[in-house]
Amino acid sequence: MSGRPPHDHRSLPTEREPTTASKDPDTDERLDLDALSELGDGTGHTVSVEDLSAYYGDNRAVAGVTLTFRANEVTAIIGPSGCGKSTLVRCINRMHEEVPGARVQGRVLLDDEDVYAPGVDVTAVRRAIGMVFQRPNPFPTMSIFDNVAAGLRLAGVRGETLRERVHRALRAVGLWSEVKDRLDRPGIGLSGGQQQRLCIARTIAVEPEVILMDEPCSALDPIATLKVEELIDELKSRYTIVIVTHNMQQAGRVADSTVFMLDGSVVEHAPTQQIFTNPRDERTERYVTGKFG
Amino acid sequence: MASLSPPAGRRLLSPSPGTARRKVVNRLMEAIATIAAVLAVGVLFLIVIDVAIKGLPAINLDFLTHNPVPFGQTGGGIADSIVGSAILIALATLLSVPVAILIAIYTSEFASPRASGAIRFALDLLNGVPTIVTGVFVFGLLVVGGQQSGWAGAIALGIVELPIVARAAQEVLDLVPRSLREAGLALGLRRWRIVLRIVLPTAAGGLITGAVLGVARVAGETAPLLLTSSIWSDLSITVNPAQAMPNIPVKIFELSESPSPSDHAQGWAAALVLILFVLVASVIARAAQERSRRRMRG
Repeated sequence: MSGRPPHDHRSLPTEREPTTASKDPDTDERLDLDALSELGDGTGHTVSVEDLSAYYGDNRAVAGVTLTFRANEVTAIIGPSGCGKSTLVRCINRMHEEVPGARVQGRVLLDDEDVYAPGVDVTAVRRAIGMVFQRPNPFPTMSIFDNVAAGLRLAGVRGETLRERVHRALRAVGLWSEVKDRLDRPGIGLSGGQQQRLCIARTIAVEPEVILMDEPCSALDPIATLKVEELIDELKSRYTIVIVTHNMQQAGRVADSTVFMLDGSVVEHAPTQQIFTNPRDERTERYVTGKFG
Repeated sequence: MASLSPPAGRRLLSPSPGTARRKVVNRLMEAIATIAAVLAVGVLFLIVIDVAIKGLPAINLDFLTHNPVPFGQTGGGIADSIVGSAILIALATLLSVPVAILIAIYTSEFASPRASGAIRFALDLLNGVPTIVTGVFVFGLLVVGGQQSGWAGAIALGIVELPIVARAAQEVLDLVPRSLREAGLALGLRRWRIVLRIVLPTAAGGLITGAVLGVARVAGETAPLLLTSSIWSDLSITVNPAQAMPNIPVKIFELSESPSPSDHAQGWAAALVLILFVLVASVIARAAQERSRRRMRG
């Protein structure tokens, strides 16, 4: 490493001009596709859910669902409040079982491995399947850098590798130029949209294979929403993405295929265009045309 | 159905019958509530001012830095008691605060809601145990058959301090939003890591406040020390907890029992020192509490 000045985590000594970049029309922030292409292992991963039921005590929230989420695609799950879409998604990364009294039946397969198999390390499951929540939740006592590094650091990554991965994640979500001069400032000092992108950076820094998003834009303003949606569109080249949303227009914008759920069951799962223009089930048709929900 | 328009002959905005009487009752209730509040604050001021008036004349640098003089002489100070109290409080805090925080972590992170509730209740009960009973308990455990010691005193104080710090810690750990823990879990972090690196740092301000509140409370506790650390022969600074350690509350008691008026004056002065310490500690704790509450909301 001769000739390069000593690293500090505040800036890289040389910053490559991205050769391929998409421009966000509202600022000149560029989503760094090169950074994105360095993430992940290059192969797509499928998530399948087999006869999955989820309970809160005696209350069944998800009833025998079988679904496949295709690799490197965005699948949206839509449905009225209480239909079980958030619960379903939380079963995929085994967050549902953290609720006292909650239980799960059935299988969830990442490629061909059941995440609920006995002997499986639940923290490894969650490192492979990341989650972004509805309200941005950066750690308040940590700086921007430490937030993105949290998952890495507390899993043993240190030093130069750590810095590179944090920088890469920030560039991949398009936050780099906004925060590169204040990486040691508190993470909660950012705007809502920036905080959410920070949380996404934190999630992809641990290099998962699947990203689950539970209404990631519902707490954001429309411009921040658009930025996050654009990011989702870029991320799918590297990850399999499942997004829960109550906003049907959003599903129409970002999702390759869409699942419509009602009362804990899947009513229909089809390419997004089809769900919205030519649904097979009458209930789907009534929901997407706004007759209920 | 009563009409909402004013009866004939009255204008729209004129007062309804009985308004005058209601206004008087209102003012009266306000006055009574205000007097009650003033009384409560007033008692505090009365105590502080009274102690200050009686104690200030005897406070000087010598008083705070010199040891007591032998019986019969005048002069001297309470330096040994100040040091002794400081050591006793420090030991009690070192013993009780880590345990209290661990209890709070257990009830907020790992325990079932029922176990949590039972532990909270037990802590509240412990908080209500009369301190003389705690003193007798430790006396029977550690002093009988042996001798008084600073350790016994510190343990007795620690038992008094524990539920205060533990309850305060529980309150503040419960305030840490669930979403932070979820974020940690979703990253694949283990429970203990999440507690140590995310939850505790977020709650740090409130935890320190709880500890300060505990210190403020035990600084003035007399009964636990009366039986465990009240008979000391040396008139000089003791730092060895294996012996009984001089301390301010017991010293005040001693000075008040003495026939000599100069001892009485010193007793008032010692009381002033004690109450000032407790007041300052409480104010600091309250200010820190407000700050950390504001930060967690924001």
